[in-house]
Amino acid sequence: MAQGISTLSRGARAGSLLRALCKTPLGAISVVIVLTFFAVGITADVIAPYDPVKLDIRAKLQGPSAEHWLGTDQLGRDVLSRLLVGTKVACFLAVTSVSIALVVGIVLGMLAAFTNRWIDWSMLLIFDTVRSFPTIMFALTVVALFGPSVNSIIAIVVISTFPSYARLVRTQVMSLRNAEFIEAQRAMGASTARILLRHMLPNVIGPVLIVASMDIPLVIGVEAGLSFLGLGVRPPTPSWGTILNDGFSFIRNTPWIVIAGGLPLIFTTVAFTTLGERLRDILDPKLRK
Amino acid sequence: MSTQPLLVDIRNLTIRFGAVEAVRSVTMQVGAGRIMGLVGESGSGKSTLANAIIGLLPPAAEITQGSMTFEGRDLLSFSNRDWQRFRGQGVSYVSQDPMSALNPALRIGEQMLDIQHWNDGGRPEKMQVALNALKQVKMPQAKARLGMYPHELSGGQKQRVCIAMAIMARPKLLIADEATTALDATLEVEIVKLLKELQRDIGCAMLFVTHHLTVVEELCEDVTVMYHGDIRESGTVQDVFSTPSEAYTRNLLSCDPSRIEEKCRRLPIMSDLGLKSIADPERDAARIDQTAKPLLSIRNLDVTFRKPRSITDLISGTPERRVEAVKSASIDISPGETVALIGESGSGKSTLARAVFRLVPAGRGEIEFDGTDLLSISQREMRPFRNEMAMMLQDPIGSLSPRMPVGTSVIEPLIISGQSKGKDLRSEAIKLLELVGLDEGFVNRYPHEMSGGQARRVGVARALALRPKLVIADEPTAGLDVSIQGEIFNLLAELRETMSLSILIITHNLHVVRHLADRMVIMYHGEIVETGPTEDVVSAPQHSYTKVLLAANLHAKFGTG
Amino acid sequence: MIAYAIQRILIAMLIVLLAVTTLFVMIQFVPGDPANVMLGPRATPELKEALRERLHLNDPFIVQVYHFFIGVMRGDLGVDLTSNRPVLNILIEQVPYTASLVLAVLLIALLGIPIGTYAAVHRDGLFDQVSGVVSVSLIAIPPIVIGLYLILIFSVQLQWLPAIGAGEGPWEIILHLILPTLAIGLTWIGYVSRLVRASVIEVLGQNHVKTARAFGIPNRRVMRAYVLRVALPATVTVLGVSIGFILSSAVIVEILFARPGIGKLMYDAVISRNYPVVMGTVLASTLFIVTATTIADLLNVMLDPRSREAG
Repeated sequence: MAQGISTLSRGARAGSLLRALCKTPLGAISVVIVLTFFAVGITADVIAPYDPVKLDIRAKLQGPSAEHWLGTDQLGRDVLSRLLVGTKVACFLAVTSVSIALVVGIVLGMLAAFTNRWIDWSMLLIFDTVRSFPTIMFALTVVALFGPSVNSIIAIVVISTFPSYARLVRTQVMSLRNAEFIEAQRAMGASTARILLRHMLPNVIGPVLIVASMDIPLVIGVEAGLSFLGLGVRPPTPSWGTILNDGFSFIRNTPWIVIAGGLPLIFTTVAFTTLGERLRDILDPKLRK
Repeated sequence: MSTQPLLVDIRNLTIRFGAVEAVRSVTMQVGAGRIMGLVGESGSGKSTLANAIIGLLPPAAEITQGSMTFEGRDLLSFSNRDWQRFRGQGVSYVSQDPMSALNPALRIGEQMLDIQHWNDGGRPEKMQVALNALKQVKMPQAKARLGMYPHELSGGQKQRVCIAMAIMARPKLLIADEATTALDATLEVEIVKLLKELQRDIGCAMLFVTHHLTVVEELCEDVTVMYHGDIRESGTVQDVFSTPSEAYTRNLLSCDPSRIEEKCRRLPIMSDLGLKSIADPERDAARIDQTAKPLLSIRNLDVTFRKPRSITDLISGTPERRVEAVKSASIDISPGETVALIGESGSGKSTLARAVFRLVPAGRGEIEFDGTDLLSISQREMRPFRNEMAMMLQDPIGSLSPRMPVGTSVIEPLIISGQSKGKDLRSEAIKLLELVGLDEGFVNRYPHEMSGGQARRVGVARALALRPKLVIADEPTAGLDVSIQGEIFNLLAELRETMSLSILIITHNLHVVRHLADRMVIMYHGEIVETGPTEDVVSAPQHSYTKVLLAANLHAKFGTG
Repeated sequence: MIAYAIQRILIAMLIVLLAVTTLFVMIQFVPGDPANVMLGPRATPELKEALRERLHLNDPFIVQVYHFFIGVMRGDLGVDLTSNRPVLNILIEQVPYTASLVLAVLLIALLGIPIGTYAAVHRDGLFDQVSGVVSVSLIAIPPIVIGLYLILIFSVQLQWLPAIGAGEGPWEIILHLILPTLAIGLTWIGYVSRLVRASVIEVLGQNHVKTARAFGIPNRRVMRAYVLRVALPATVTVLGVSIGFILSSAVIVEILFARPGIGKLMYDAVISRNYPVVMGTVLASTLFIVTATTIADLLNVMLDPRSREAG
């Protein structure tokens, strides 16, 4: 209905945003890395040169060679193939857990800001309680109770990150609540749902998406950390964390596994954070000048 | 120009922001001990020029040509150390926004000590200087203020502190950048009077930067008029105001609603001075349907705000705090009538308007619209009435949804009221925009891509989308340049004639509203103190507050009043 | 101010209560009989029953929570199931290791203040750009990767610094602290410097700073009293709130460097389902975090006169 009035398409705006992101060399590199991350995440099984779980004890702990670009691990598995397939796990985790946390956070944040004082107050208390629980303690407890699995990691990430989205949305909605354009809506008799969806959401979503893009490194870090401790993805499924764990045991004699295993983590996390910062600079008019 | 020696001598000065020339080859002199008014509309470059004299241009600005001297010393060759010593004693500065001009984390006394870097005395001696300065600006309880933080002072008090800081070092030049713009009219009169007195006592020169012509006329001896980075005219106030030589100055003077004595039906605008026409009492009377029942009738309305108690309040037993924003107010508006509700900030006038739309929890009393008491019905039953009255909020740009193209904003009332079915919304939007003088191209614009005047027009279009019977407009011309104020005034005047609208205008600005309103209602501290036909209120005010307000707003005699 | 402090402390206590209760609720959902899990399949029914009795496992969980907090009041946190020592004693032994690590991290995080300030003042200069890229990278890279690379470079290749344990004697203890501190702290140097930079830039643009300059207040005084004084309280609060994240990283880093501490203790307890120790470590860390956030909050109120009244 009303959207049809604007002839400016969303696609055109997304295009100009992408161009703005690529303006600096760092931004452009980050865009390339992030796109590669998703591309590898989808196609990993096809492009991996070897079967990542195929054992070859005779070829164990070999250094980088023409055959195995990044060498082999203690069971003779190809490290490069394992890293590529490990991207799949990281990609899946990043997308699912951040989107679930986002939706939960936005809904609860808006509810907190728009319902009565007592509901708001008790939600804040819950948000703060979750935040005062160190992520890793919480993760350890969840894993102790429900066992290590990808689902446990998703649950851990969602529960430990949604409060920060909810709080951000709540503050933003609160500060917009008395803005004149919202008051104008109320004077016209617009329903609460309409005010929230058509007028609050578009103004609130930007900062939240930026925080979310910066949380993807956090998810990747949590997976790496938990899997490294043996509490995340279960072997033999390759993930970046399990590869680091494998490599750590042989760090003195065959350091290339740790070196190679750390690089994709570094590249993706730095790329996502850089993009988040660039996005904020572009979208936040206060910092733009 | 004057017989005094030159203090500031600026020649052919050009200041660029990237590709934009904010100040273009400007030549201006300020004589020692003179009061110079620097006048221009927003974007004219007047503040940039003032900032250049004190060496505080933003980093993006660059002086590309010209010279600037102060008592013969070349300001452009100053090092950072030179500037620092020069500021405070050579030139000092009172900023536009008193609310943010003081450091929120330091006590007033501390800040007043800091700026006495030229004073070699000890702490007690500096405190004494600060105290004397506060007394000089007539700060009540000066001694106690020294120990206070800025947030504990009112706006007027903060501005007094800023002025005290500016005069403490007995500067040779005092720059006041829109120093009174943010203040209410009655306060503005006091501050301008104070500045004039202080200037006389200290004997400094003053550069008064403003867009407000009347203040310049009352306060200044010389005046320089800027427009789009150029100087259009300069000379003594007497010469420029009585016989302006430039068309721009002439137009500016004739478009200022506060300088037009007689009540107008249409105000002159910059592009068309001939538009001006005098109000016709008979025509105005015919517009108003006196015989019918009032369209809106507010009787004995009280609005009280309650500050919710926090947990600690509950524990410590602090009683609930109440603020009576509106006390027993009564207003009637007839069909077709325009009523102005006038009061200064905090008088409760905006709260009263919001109560009509049930945007604030209404208190006791009655608000009768077209025969129905709006306070006794549910929000659901209120719906049809929202289609018959519309509200325009104060900030032209801020009252439009920032992420929504204005074409969509304008037709929102249609969608909300469910009247959008079966209509071509795009052509509806274009029709509405054309009604307020905007072309089709505005449909896709976003609020931040428009000027204040254009955004205000969009606001008017949205208010009229459902052809309401009543429009309540909160400060419809606030924040707009004088030349734009006339355009918005004319638009409202035209629309009420063609659409038989009742209008309630809420404002602190008497200049414009006195031409538009049939009746005036004066509000003071939540109470209505006077009401009557505009001509009567302006010519023979009854209540003492109305008299003060009129004196401050209209033909203010700052020197003697 | 005092009323505000009381309010904050009340909320803090409520949060601790909620956190521990949540844990009890979660234990309710544990698949299988906890006693079974703890004692293994070969335990006799009498043994299991005795354990259940001792841990109040037969009571409804509200009663368990009640017993737990009554115990806490008396300084009794239960007994370690494997060593039979009081949990409180074990905590008292282990807390200093973690506390010293967190403190060291906070101290080096303060390095971010001068870095951020300098970058903000010389905005878009070479230092700003380089420190910007470095900070962002440090923030992004997970501490586990930083830790692994640090071990690889400084202990395996260069053999300058120890990578295992906490060391004994003051000099050894400091040496053993360096790598773990850097593994967590580099992130926080980056984070603090970005925060300080953003808030200094904001304050530099504020009207009162311009006014201060317009009166010729010397630059150093402007920076100290007019810029940093206003910009830093926000940073203090953020650091306080961040204690939780620092503690999280500390757990991983303690295990990576085989350092004793709360993190290692909890990890081992979780692996062996040693519930009393799990409860004890969770209580200790929540208390720690809640105290830190409350102190940061109160500190912020003290530094910012505007919020003092609001309380």
